[in-house]
Amino acid sequence: MTVVAEGYNAFETDLEPSGAILYLPDPQSVVKLIQSKKLKEHILLVRGGTTTFLAPALSMGAIGVITMSGAPESHLGILSREFQIPCIMTVHLTGSESRYEVGNASQEHFDEIIKELNGKQVTLKCSDSAVGKIDV
Amino acid sequence: MEQVSRSSYKKRYEEEDEGLRFQPNLFTGNFVDLPPVPDGIAGDRQMRARMKTGVLERVSHEDVLKPEFTIDELNDLNNYFAWNVWDVLVMRATEGVSGMIPRQEYEILSFMQQFYRYPEFMRLITDHVGAQGVIDIGASARKEIGTKINCVHDWCLGAVAFGMGRCGLLALEAIGPDDYVEESNTILKFAQRVLWGKRQDGYILNSQDRYRCQIHDQDLIDRLVSQCESFEHGSDTFKQFTSFNAAAELLAFFDHYDCRLGLGDTGPYEQKDGKILIIRDLFVNEDVYHWSDVCEGLPHCFTLAILIDPEQLALEEIRVNDISTTFTIPKNYIPAICGAAVFVREAWDTPMGEVYNVPIKDLEPHVERIKDATFKLYKKTLKMSRRELCLNGTYSYYIGMLLPHLRKAGLYDYANEKLNLWEIDQRVSNYYYEIGKRNFVQSVVPQKIFSGQGYLPFSKDADIRRSKYAWL
Repeated sequence: MTVVAEGYNAFETDLEPSGAILYLPDPQSVVKLIQSKKLKEHILLVRGGTTTFLAPALSMGAIGVITMSGAPESHLGILSREFQIPCIMTVHLTGSESRYEVGNASQEHFDEIIKELNGKQVTLKCSDSAVGKIDV
Repeated sequence: MEQVSRSSYKKRYEEEDEGLRFQPNLFTGNFVDLPPVPDGIAGDRQMRARMKTGVLERVSHEDVLKPEFTIDELNDLNNYFAWNVWDVLVMRATEGVSGMIPRQEYEILSFMQQFYRYPEFMRLITDHVGAQGVIDIGASARKEIGTKINCVHDWCLGAVAFGMGRCGLLALEAIGPDDYVEESNTILKFAQRVLWGKRQDGYILNSQDRYRCQIHDQDLIDRLVSQCESFEHGSDTFKQFTSFNAAAELLAFFDHYDCRLGLGDTGPYEQKDGKILIIRDLFVNEDVYHWSDVCEGLPHCFTLAILIDPEQLALEEIRVNDISTTFTIPKNYIPAICGAAVFVREAWDTPMGEVYNVPIKDLEPHVERIKDATFKLYKKTLKMSRRELCLNGTYSYYIGMLLPHLRKAGLYDYANEKLNLWEIDQRVSNYYYEIGKRNFVQSVVPQKIFSGQGYLPFSKDADIRRSKYAWL
């Protein structure tokens, strides 16, 4: 196993969901995924740490979430804990120096993560109290 | 043989204990010449040691009835709220763009709208019910569940309407530090009275009391606990309850435009058997909002009595913070839930005698209705324009944060019909265009408001009577 990315772990869990990462760029893509009935096949990659964007995916059984901003104290961090959906937040690529900076994050930062992770078959490791890891 | 305790959270209540750190950041605020301050119990202690007055120590009934604060007291409240806002929100505020609801945009607009408009409504309530009546509005929370007169709403009166509203207007250079002193006093006095009335221990904030919000009367707690069902981790009952909690909490956030106003925790209340009780209100249908039509058939509020086993969790610290949210170390308290009960309050003014219990085995139909409402709200929301989303979000803060107090005072209809409660101030309407420039929302808001850096003090020359007399 190789750790390709890591970030804040929203909550400690022994669950280790596996699936192909699917980047969700807009609400329409969330609806499309729900209607495809393939929600449980994917680890969901989203940009923000807010709740509403992923609301139906959370309530309908998402198996794992990766965000590119936010923290366990963000609404998505709180709700992922309540749903017991493993969630790694503000991820950065282990092979890159680029880091998320509140208010100053460039589009290139997000694009690099999406390009590297989208479509990859991964497993989320979330047993540590602070850091969640994304294994390939 | 004596059983070794796995939990250590009670140490947090020992006088000299400084609590644990929930975040790595430090706060500076207006104290640029002093060492930075951490979060939590240690942060509260250090901040209060820097106060010039006793306004953030335990204050008396007589103090609360006084008509106004001094400039030094206003500055102490401003400085403490700056830290308190940072303490509860700086990490949340790293969440970036929503991709659906422009929350940062509507937040800053509503902050400023509240600062401009709340003084009129707060004075109206005070004139109508008197200073003691305002205290009594806060105190009503002690005997009720499913009430929005709670931590987060009452905190917002001071921290948001005054703190963030003034801070946002200062950052936008719409006002100066010594403008609107009288209005600031009106807001903070009202907030102090409600908060003090609710707590009744001399404090106004949970952070002053090691993050405890133990406000409910014992007879109410006993009534709730007596109906709790015990269960094992992983049992069907456990799964039914935790699934319900999560689904209802999600809709409660969503119905309030992705904000914390839908959730209200109190506690922790230690039980005789060592378990910890958290009482959680989840407001899943706020009918004052037109978008809540998708929640038809759901009650105003589900109240959850949640029993947590601190030994199973090996609990080190538990915080019910000032925005009514429970955080623990370790973070994942869900597997340690060992008992619960669910109650329904159909409408905001349903008498407490008519609040009823729903057995956990009967929650499934409610979960289905909640999921259905969530998906309907999602599809409804994604058809809305940015303008409409900003307006609705502004309502969810500006209307929502004072709504329970107006309702309790019997003045909501009057404020709506006679004082144009639902109108947006013309200045704030114009700010809608301003906040999109110079990266104001994405950069200035988190760096000034949630970091606690922009809460400029009133100067020593500030006049306690001053408003803002000219727009130049």
